[in-house]
This record gives sequence, C-alpha cells and structure tokens, in this order.
Amino acid sequence: MSGEVLKRARYKTSVKDSGVAGVLKMTEDKFVFMPNDPTSSARFDVEFRFIKGHKFSKGGSNKPALLNLTQDSEKGGGYIFEFENYPDREVCREFVGKALAKFSEASKAGSEQSAVKLFDEQLSTIEMERRIKLLREDSELQKLHKQFVLSGVLTEAEFWATRKKLLDGNTSRTSKQRVGFKSAMISDLKPLTDGRTNRVTFNLTPEIIHQIFAEKPAVHQAFLNFVPNKMTEKDFWNKYCRAEYLHCTRNTVAAAAEAAEDEELAVFLKHDDILANEARRKIRRVDPTLDMEADQGDDYMHLPDHGIFRDGSKEIIDPQYEQYRRTLSQDLNRHAAVVLEGRPIDVELEDTRTVAEALAKSKRVEAANEKSDGSVTRERLERISRMTEIEDLQAPRDLPFAALCIKDPRDYFDSQQANALKTLGDTLAGSKQIKCSLSTQEAYGSLRGFISEIKSVGLSDPIVKPDIALKVLNGLTQNISSTKFHLGKNPQESVLDRLPIITKEELLHHWTSIQELLRHFWSSYPITTTYLYTKASRLKDAMSQIYPKLQEIKESVQSDFRHQVSLLVQPMLQALDAAFAHYDADQQKRSARSGERPNGFV
Amino acid sequence: MKFQIEDVTVYFPYDNIYPEQYSYMVELKRALDAKGHALLEMPTGTGKTIALLSLITSYALSKPSNPIKLLYCTRTVHEMEKTLAELRLLHQYQLRHLGPAARILALGLSSRKNLCINPAVVSAENRDSVDAGCRKLTASWVRALAVENPNIPTCQFFENYEKAASEAVLPPGVYTLQDLRAFGRDKGWCPYFLARHMVQFANVVVYSYQYLLDPKVAGIISKEMQRESVVVFDEAHNIDNVCIEALSVSVRRQTLEGATRNLSKMAQEINRFKATDAGRLRAEYNRLVEGLAQRGNLPISDTWLANPALPDDILKEAVPGNIRRAEHFLSVLRRLVQYLHGRLETENVEKEGPVAFVASINSQAGIDQKMLKFCYDRLHSLMLTLEITDTDEFLHIQTICDFATLVGTYTRGFSIIIEPFDERMPHIPDPVLQLSCHDASLAIKPVFERFQSVVITSGTLSPIDLYPRLLNFNPVVSRSFTMSLTRNCICPMVLTRGSDQLPVSTKFDMRSDPGVVRNYGRLLLEMVSVVPDGIVCFFVSYSYMDGIVNTWNESGILKEIMQHKLVFIETQDVVETTLALDNYRRACDCGRGAVFFSVARGKVAEGIDFDRHYGRLVIMFGVPFQYTLSRILLARLEYLRETFQIKEGDFLTFDALRQAAQCVGRVIRSKADYGMMIFADKRYSRHDKRSKLPGWILSHLRDAHLNLSTDMALHIAREFLRKMAQPYDKAGVSGRKTLLSEEDLEKMGDGTTNEMLF
Repeated sequence: MSGEVLKRARYKTSVKDSGVAGVLKMTEDKFVFMPNDPTSSARFDVEFRFIKGHKFSKGGSNKPALLNLTQDSEKGGGYIFEFENYPDREVCREFVGKALAKFSEASKAGSEQSAVKLFDEQLSTIEMERRIKLLREDSELQKLHKQFVLSGVLTEAEFWATRKKLLDGNTSRTSKQRVGFKSAMISDLKPLTDGRTNRVTFNLTPEIIHQIFAEKPAVHQAFLNFVPNKMTEKDFWNKYCRAEYLHCTRNTVAAAAEAAEDEELAVFLKHDDILANEARRKIRRVDPTLDMEADQGDDYMHLPDHGIFRDGSKEIIDPQYEQYRRTLSQDLNRHAAVVLEGRPIDVELEDTRTVAEALAKSKRVEAANEKSDGSVTRERLERISRMTEIEDLQAPRDLPFAALCIKDPRDYFDSQQANALKTLGDTLAGSKQIKCSLSTQEAYGSLRGFISEIKSVGLSDPIVKPDIALKVLNGLTQNISSTKFHLGKNPQESVLDRLPIITKEELLHHWTSIQELLRHFWSSYPITTTYLYTKASRLKDAMSQIYPKLQEIKESVQSDFRHQVSLLVQPMLQALDAAFAHYDADQQKRSARSGERPNGFV
Repeated sequence: MKFQIEDVTVYFPYDNIYPEQYSYMVELKRALDAKGHALLEMPTGTGKTIALLSLITSYALSKPSNPIKLLYCTRTVHEMEKTLAELRLLHQYQLRHLGPAARILALGLSSRKNLCINPAVVSAENRDSVDAGCRKLTASWVRALAVENPNIPTCQFFENYEKAASEAVLPPGVYTLQDLRAFGRDKGWCPYFLARHMVQFANVVVYSYQYLLDPKVAGIISKEMQRESVVVFDEAHNIDNVCIEALSVSVRRQTLEGATRNLSKMAQEINRFKATDAGRLRAEYNRLVEGLAQRGNLPISDTWLANPALPDDILKEAVPGNIRRAEHFLSVLRRLVQYLHGRLETENVEKEGPVAFVASINSQAGIDQKMLKFCYDRLHSLMLTLEITDTDEFLHIQTICDFATLVGTYTRGFSIIIEPFDERMPHIPDPVLQLSCHDASLAIKPVFERFQSVVITSGTLSPIDLYPRLLNFNPVVSRSFTMSLTRNCICPMVLTRGSDQLPVSTKFDMRSDPGVVRNYGRLLLEMVSVVPDGIVCFFVSYSYMDGIVNTWNESGILKEIMQHKLVFIETQDVVETTLALDNYRRACDCGRGAVFFSVARGKVAEGIDFDRHYGRLVIMFGVPFQYTLSRILLARLEYLRETFQIKEGDFLTFDALRQAAQCVGRVIRSKADYGMMIFADKRYSRHDKRSKLPGWILSHLRDAHLNLSTDMALHIAREFLRKMAQPYDKAGVSGRKTLLSEEDLEKMGDGTTNEMLF
C-alpha cells in the first residue's frame, strides 16, 4: 500500500449539507481532514479502526462524487466527503478499501493469535494459521473456543484434540483440486478473420499453450529446442499458427510446398514422430482382447494387392502428401487421450518456458516408471480372466473388501461415547447407576429384597405398573398433540422457531457448550492420570455452572413456552445429571479404594 | 456343473446354464454324432463360445479311444485370446473334477510377428519384414553357412529349439500367444516353430480363419490335421466375404514395376549361380522333373506358403517342361508382366472371364494354362534354389504368380475386371486389374471335404437358409436359437425422424442434407446427456463418418457432445484405433463416459465387444449397404443371380442388415447385461428391411418402437435405463426359467430333452 493520499474534498455532515471545503489526507492507519478555513470546527483525525465500512455514490456526470465512511452504529454517523471529480474519489475509495480490509484482518488475526499464544505450546505456524482460519470461518466454534479455552476450562490442545478431523480435512481442502484439461478441443482455436483484410488472428492463452504441449509432443519438443536460442517465443507461435492455418485450409499440397521451404514449419506440419513412438510403446501394454494391431500380422489380406482392392471403403491418398495430412479423427483421439490422462503437472501457467520444462520432466518420470512395473501385466491378465467369466451364470463373487483399520482410536472412542451419550439423553435409564462389582452378600441382599417385595405386593403380571404407564401415555399424547397442533402445518418449522430469538440462541449455545463439555468429560474416563482427574473436576465445575443457567432459562420464558423449553432443556439436564452421577460414583469409588490400593488404580 | 447329454457327460464351468446354451449343446452333439456339418445361430450374449468349447471338449473326453480334435477358427487375434481365456477357465474346471485325465493341450497359433521373441527380428515394422528377418536367421542354407563361419548371425532361440529336437514339447495346458512367448523365453526355444510343431499333437488349436481358408497358408499349417477334427468357424456371419477375399488378387502399376525389379534381381542371381554353383540349378531341374510332391519334406524353417488350392493329383504331376529351367521360367514371367502392362493401359472398363483371359494370354504372350497354374510353385522352388531370404522384397512377383496360378486353375466363379480409374475420382488415373472371386464355396470346399464336422456359428446368420447356398454345403443341423430373457434387457428402436420430425436416412440423395446431419447430431447429443457410461456409434463408411464428424465439429455439435463425454474415433490406422479403444475403455472404467465412433464394416465392428458399461447404447446411423457402384460387387451379384438365383436386392439387403445386426449385437454379453440399440434410418421401418434382422432382435422390437422421433426415443431411453437399474430375480419368473441349475437339468433329463422352455 502506497504511503498516503492527499486530495481536495468537502466534508459534509449529511448529503444535502453544503459542506466544508478542505484537504483530506489518508495514511495507512488514519485519515485527517483539515478545512481550508482554519477557524472551522470541522477538523478531525480519525483512525481507520473505528471505521466499519464505506459507501460511495455512483458515477454520473451531474451527480457529486461522494464517499461516506461509516462509523460504528452505536457511535452513529459517519464522514461524508465530496470530491471535485470522480478520479479523485476513486483513488481515495480504493485506498480506504485497502486500509479497511487490512485493518479488519489484522485486528481479527491479532486478537486470536494472542489467544492462541496464551498457552505456551509448540505449534507450527501453519498449524496455528489453520486453527485461526477455522475459528474465523466458524463463528460457533469461535464462541465455544472463547468460552472454554479463554476461560481456562479446556486447554488449547484439548479443545483441538477432538477436532483433528476438522484440521485434517482442512489441509486437503487447502491443497486445491487440480483442474483437468477442458473437454473442448484446442482446434477450437479458430482463426478469426476481420473480413476486410487478409489478416488472420489466433488467440493463444497459457491454458491453450499448455494443452498444445500436452497434445502435440512435437511442438513441445520444438519449443524446447528452438526457443529462445533460435527464435523468439513470438516467432515460434507465429510459425505454429501459420501451420495451423495451413492445416485448416485442408490443402495438403500447399502445406507440403511450404514445408519444403521452411524446415521449422515442417516440424508442425509433418506427422508427429514422438507420438508415433509413444503409440508403438503403448500398444504393447494394451489389453490383448482389444489388440487389433496383432491381427495385422495374422491377416493375410494386408499383403499388397491381395483381397478386394477397390470395394469403396478405402480412401485413396497420394502417398507423397500422406505425411502432411492430419485428420480431425486423429486430433479427436489424441485430445481425448490427453484429457483422460489428466494434467500431469501442477505449475502456474504464466511462463511458457517453465510449463514446457515441467512437462518434459514429468514425461521422463513417467517413462522411468513405466519400465519398472511388472505387476501391470499380471493385473491385466487377471482382468481378462475376470472379464471372460459370464457373471450371472455363477454365484456372485465376494466383493473385494478392505479390513477395518481405525487410524485414530481416540477419535473413534470419542465418537462412540458421544453416541452413548445421546442414547443416554434420550432414555432415562442412563441416570441409574449400575454397579458392576458386587460382592456375593450384596447380591444376595438385593435378591432377598426383591423377593420380599414381590411377596408383599404380589407378582404383577404386567411389568410396567398401569398407573405409571397411563401417566406416561397421557403426558406423551398431550405433548404430541400440542406440538402437532402448532407445528403440524409446516414441516420446516420447529419448536425452536416459535421461541423468542434470544431464548433460542441461548438454548442452542448452551446445547453446543454442554455437548462440548460432555464430550471432554466422558472422554477423560477411565481416569488414569492426575491430569485427567483435574480435567474431569474442572469440567464438572464448568458444567455445574451451566446447570443453574438452564434453570434460569426455564423460568425466564413466558408461561406458554415454558413447557416447550422444559422439554428441550430436559435432555440436557439429564445428560448433565448422568455426568454428575458418574463423577460422584467415581469419586466415591476412588475414595473408598484409595485406602485399599495405595498405588492408585488403573 | 456337470450333466448328461445322452451318453456324454458335459463339464460346464459355471453353476448355472442358460436354457439356450443347453439346447445349443444338444444340437451340436447331434451334429458330432452324425459326423456332419452344422449351422447354428445363437444371439450374442448367451455364452456361445463357452457352450461350444465345453461340449466339444467333453465329447472328446467321453470318447477317449478316438478323441476328436478341435480346430477353432476366429476372425481376429484378440478373439483368439478371448476364446483361449474361456477355454482356460473350462480346463481348470475339468481338471478339478476329473483330475489328470482331463489334461489337454490347447494353443493359439499366429504369425511370427505375434510369436517371435527374438528382439532383433520382432522389432521390424510389419509381418513381412518379421518373416523375412526370421528367414534370414533360420533358413537351412544360412545355418549351414553359419556352421562354417561363426560370424554369420543365427537365431539362438531357433538353434536351441533344434538342439532340443524331440525334447522340445509343450506340456499339457492352455497356451495363449502370450503364454507361448513366456514359455519360449523361459526355455530359450523359439515359440513360433514350437507352436507350429505342437499343432499336430494339440487337442485344441485356436487360429485365424486364413489358416484353413487361405490355401496358401492352409497347405502347410493345416495339412497334418486328421479327418476326425471338428472345425468351428466362430463369428462366421462374414465367412463368405473372407472366402472371397482369400482368392482375390489385384494388380496395379506399382505391382508390375516391382515385379520387373524382382525379375531382374533374380536374373542376376541366376547368372551368379551359373558362374559359381551350376550344380545347384541342375539339381533343381531334376527335382522338378520328379514333381512337386516332395515339397513337404523341406526343413520346417524353409517351408513356403503353399500353392493355392491345387487338387491333390496336380501335386504328383511334373512341372511343365518349358518352365523347368530357371531362365525359361523367368522369361515366361517377363512376358506375363509385359502382357499385364499392356492390359492396364486400357481406356475403358473391361470385364472378362478367366477362360477368355487365359486364351488371350496364350495367344498374345504364348503362355498356356498349365504353365500359369504352376507359376506359384515354380517361383518358390526357384527362390529356394537361389537362397533368397529377404522375401519381403519379393512380394510383387509373388503376387503376379499368385494371380497366374488362380487364373490358370479356376475356370468359373471368377472374373477379371480392369478399371482405368476409380470412378469416384475420374481425373486421377490409377489403373487396376482385379481378379475377383465370386463364389465363396471355392475356398471353403476343401475344408468341408477334409473334415468330418464343420460348425458355422454366429450371432447373426439370418436368413439361415442362405448360407448353405452361398457356401454350397449340406448341414445336418441348421438352427436358429432365440434368446430367453429374464427381463427385457435389450431395447431395439427404429428412429425414423429427427427432433424436427423430418425423416432421417443415409440414402444417397439424403445423406449430405444438412438437416439430416443436424438431426443425427442432435440425436447423439440428446443421448449422451441421458445414457451413462459408454455409447457406440456406427456409421456406414469411413468417408461418411469423416464428413459428418467434420460437419458436427464446424457446427459446434461435437463440442457440445464433448461436454458430456469424451469422443474417440476409429481410423484406418489400426494402431491408433487400438489405442483409442483402450482409452475408451479406461474412460468408461473411470466413470468419465465416452462415445466411440466406428464404421459398420470396419475392424471394430468385426470383433470388439462393447459389453456392460462399455456400451449401454449403440446407434446405427443409416443402413450399411455396400458401395453398390463397385464393379466387383456388381459382378458378384450377377454371378449370384445366375448361379444361385439370389436376387440382387435381396442379397444387398441381407448383407447390409447382417452388418447392422452385428454392430448392435456387440452390446450384450450376458443376461445380466443390458443395452439399447437405435437404428437411425427411416428405411428400417420398412418391412422388407426390418424382417432381415435376426430373430432375437425382432422379438424385442415392439411395434410402438418402429417409428420414433428423437424426443420419443429419448423418453423411451430414460424409462428403459431407470427400469434396468432395478434389482431383479436372476433365475427368471416362475414358469419360464431363464437360468437352469444342475437339478433342473436332471429333472429334464428324466423326461424328454426336447421339451425345452422356449
């Protein structure tokens, strides 16, 4: 960004205001207005970081050239400048745009960078940038991050540990997908005539040049040989276009004549020897069930003058000009083959020379690879034998499968726990603690209890008590019917949409933060280290802080929504309860056993 | 599975069998029992090849005392590979069930070019150079010289093979060309000569039609096959054309010039020999006096492609006295070349029968019919005597002698046509003298006579009664099978109108109409956007395809097509076409989808399968009639009318429709496969054309699909594809079983086997 801009302008408080004439000076981080009349009060010095945006009037001869720098909404107002002419305005506008963009970026990045740096971890800058980018893209994530990491509930590493996939996925997204060649042919490189003169124009773009190199190895080779030693790049392409032009006139005789005079031009007009060699090499690797070339040797018809000669299917061409004839079909086949192969190199298409060299390099690599592969033939044979089988006459083959391999067990168990949690939230069963290690006495005692209970109550045939069942059923029907009544008409509308916006957002936010906390909470079990222990207790504290907030929400909403909200809050509370119960039980176990096993436990 | 057909236990490598495969086998078995010939039409996609192989090998296994040999002829080398792959599958199955008793030797046989492993030889450009390159290293006189002079190069593979002598055998198994090469490399033996040697001991030999039909090749390669062989011509719908081509020769100016050069080269050689080794020429003379019969005793590496279909008694005859001496023979050939030169100078088209032609040669050049007849053999005897190894240089004179022998041997079924220029390009003088054979039965006659069973089979042999007439034989079994389908997995349509409702056709007066070209383009464009994976288009000729593709390119339709699928084209260059096909398959495999443009009488239509996702739709643009103004065709039509009372129109339609059916039949491989076929020409809706299509297509051609326009066809295509994507019951709906298991067959075996389900 160039240092500063100085322009004459009038400062206006509103569009209709006549304004104060003066000089507007803009530097990288602020702008200063100095009125011509030194007594005027309209003198100010504002930093760009207070400016939120800018607007400007459309260009037109009779309209004034306005630029409005808008300020924060709460501070109100903005700064309107009228310039003497549009070019001046444009200069300023561009400058402001750049300054603002830079500033907002810097400020955002700055704040988050500092946040990340709070925790002294050894992170690569790339990793850091990636995290910052993610946070910036996802406001939800940013909120969570702020809430937990900055408040110290979770460490930076913990927060990101559960989001590894997000980070990884991002890397693959950053290495952008390679674009293949276009399906359209380069023969679409149509000569343009202007109609009046005999001049013919061709348009070559780097993209087209790359494609030409890939499809016509002879041109590629010639380019490497001739440019820049023998001729300039411009001359080279001139010559190429001349050859193309001759080709599209389909005058093989003229082409032959021109080629005879100019040997460089001949390179473009003649058959491509490199291609022919490549074809000969490739033909050996072709599927033998397709190989029509093999017939050539077996077919006695090809003996000169054997078979029926003039049956109307063969075309006659003078062999002298044969090599200057290039058909559309050849071009089509070649083009399709190149498109199918895909773009072998990944370089910027700016400089033709580098493209040409990179392509040559990739070709050499390819040729080297080709020699080493022996498994290809075997693979091909297997393919043939598979293809000869008639599929529906036999039982279907076992499809090839890959063994399950969990790359990151941590990730897997995290997700499993999250799933478990979800079912936990849905059913009440989760809140009951199941004690697994029972002594015989305990078991006996509980069995006795059951027996005596049954003795006193009698064996109830239905396992669920009728009155409870009725209650649940009533509750459910009421609930369903009321929701149905409100929502049945519109499938898109959900309960949430009917709540006040603030409540809705709060609920959603709490839901995500609870989920985040729970995920970490459950993933820290079984507690094996003191680190996990402190983490669990820290998480428990954080959750217990949310608990009353949920109650608050429930109470704050109006009575007609209260039922809905409580329905929504219920699973959250249950999930939290389950977590607390687990924590308490674990705590008890721990204190109980700590005496017996001084070494701690696993 | 394993089941009985009468007294033969058939081993079939799959768990199930199609009912038509079963009845095909039953018919085939009857033909074998009767030791007679068979003509069987069975739709493509019903596993014809495996049914054939499985029955014949099982038949041979069940009669161990006198096992029959199978000579399986394919049109092309890649079909040979496919057949051998199926045979391998079958063989593995039989080995599993029968153990070592089922061991057979099966091999593919091809030319040196496909079998040679000597890198110095095989790198040559074409077949003739490879042959010549081989001969330079392996001819008996070269090897004799090499013994004295170690600087003379020989082929180490051939030397090793010779050294191993009787040890050099192939262990039982199934050998494709590639396996043969690998085996040869492993042992250091020449695979070509090994295979040639093993052919006599093999149970199954798979090779090209020419090895039986072309007398030049058949004489050496197939002469040792016993009478108790079954000869199968697979994909034989074009067999009449192959027979005709095998006996046709054409002579152009270049041929004559080349022949003159060859003659002077030979004259030099003769003079050289006269000076150095006169005894050799004398020895040849004496040999010729005794006759040609000893030719068979030549070392294997010296043998020549033998004489054209000479009756056996001629072989015992002595070569006429006036061409026994080398220089006399050369002067006869010179006079012949001179005479042909004179005939080529004509201004008008001339047509003659062989008898008149021979008489004219006799009067003008003083060469009688008997001398002509022996030209081919005499030439080869001379070339052997002169120890000429670079045979590829002497092709022209061979052509001339070939021509002479044919003219001298046959008195009917041929005509000689001299054209001063191609009538499509009257301004370019390009005289050609063509000896064209009209009678397909001439070439195939020795085959029918020599072997006890000849099976001619294909997916398209309709009308099936025409073939016995064309080939002049009496089949004991002649049947056409229809296809029992589990679901309607083929969908033929006749498209008569384009998107603008105007008729489309490749009729001569309509084909260059821009409206028709555009309508064809729109049809393809609409289809590429609807049909997944591969689409194959067939055009009536190369020139038409070139024209229409160029027009599409100029009008931008091609570009739009390429937005949907990649485009590949068959060209006259085989290497390029092969690579294009390979790429086409890759494009279909990777899901990109592609269109393949091909020609109805081209090599692709002949033998490449577009099964499964390689072809979900075939569009046949136009009716692939032959070039009707061709004089050769006209002469043949005349001959057919006079000899077999076949009407010209009937024959042309029959020929065009069998090509069309052949093209569209390439999309189906099994009943699990599916595909659509569009016949895009208004002429297909006419009954006389349509009715010539094979039954299995006609039975699926619904009346509602007979007169469609592009939009209707598009609608049908959408519906069809949606329906085919649904899962279905493979065994077929109750009542009509389309897939038989072993139990089903046993149950049927109790009752009458005739009671088939279709």
